Amino acid sequence: MIFNIGESFEESFIVSEEIYNGFIQIFKDTNPLHTNENFAIDKGFKGKVMHGNILNGFLSYFIGECLPTKNLIIHSQEIQYKNAVYLNDILLFKAEIIGVYESVKAVEFKFDFKNKFSKTVAKGKIQIGLFI
Amino acid sequence: MERKELLKQINSIFIDTLDNEDVVIEEETMANDVEEWDSLTHIQLVVAIEKHFKIRFTSKEIQSWGNVGEMLNCIQEKGI
Repeated sequence: MIFNIGESFEESFIVSEEIYNGFIQIFKDTNPLHTNENFAIDKGFKGKVMHGNILNGFLSYFIGECLPTKNLIIHSQEIQYKNAVYLNDILLFKAEIIGVYESVKAVEFKFDFKNKFSKTVAKGKIQIGLFI
Repeated sequence: MERKELLKQINSIFIDTLDNEDVVIEEETMANDVEEWDSLTHIQLVVAIEKHFKIRFTSKEIQSWGNVGEMLNCIQEKGI
């Protein structure tokens, strides 16, 4: 097994205009919380709130591109959103292996995304399977 | 652990993992008897059982199971 418990990984991501606009263009979620500055401020936020599922795109990138093997598949993932993410926020992503299950070739990570104020904006767990 | 209690705990794990409150497993139950028990669910079941009892199986052990009873044997052989 090429993964070990306690091993950790870090990436940083920017919620850019391109990603935000692309997400809306593809998935058509134009809820005013995400698209109307005044609406979002009226609800207590600092501005338009980015779609939480943009972070799932970053997770997909991490699993698909940043691990030391491409022979894998996502089995499951869960994510909790803790604080709003805004346009152009830079997020620090950290993932740590918390379970290695040799018998079924599965690896479990816990992860979190933090903003520039070191505030956790989302956290969760993800389990992958290895094709070996 | 008593066999009956072990089966009860395994049944709870099946209910949680398969997200089906109606699942009732017996010693003779096989994967084909439970609609949701497919290959991916099998992985989730094994992971959940390993976590719950703080044990580890080998792939050889898992491949040897023909039914739930054989799975229970394997768990008990690990001192549970």
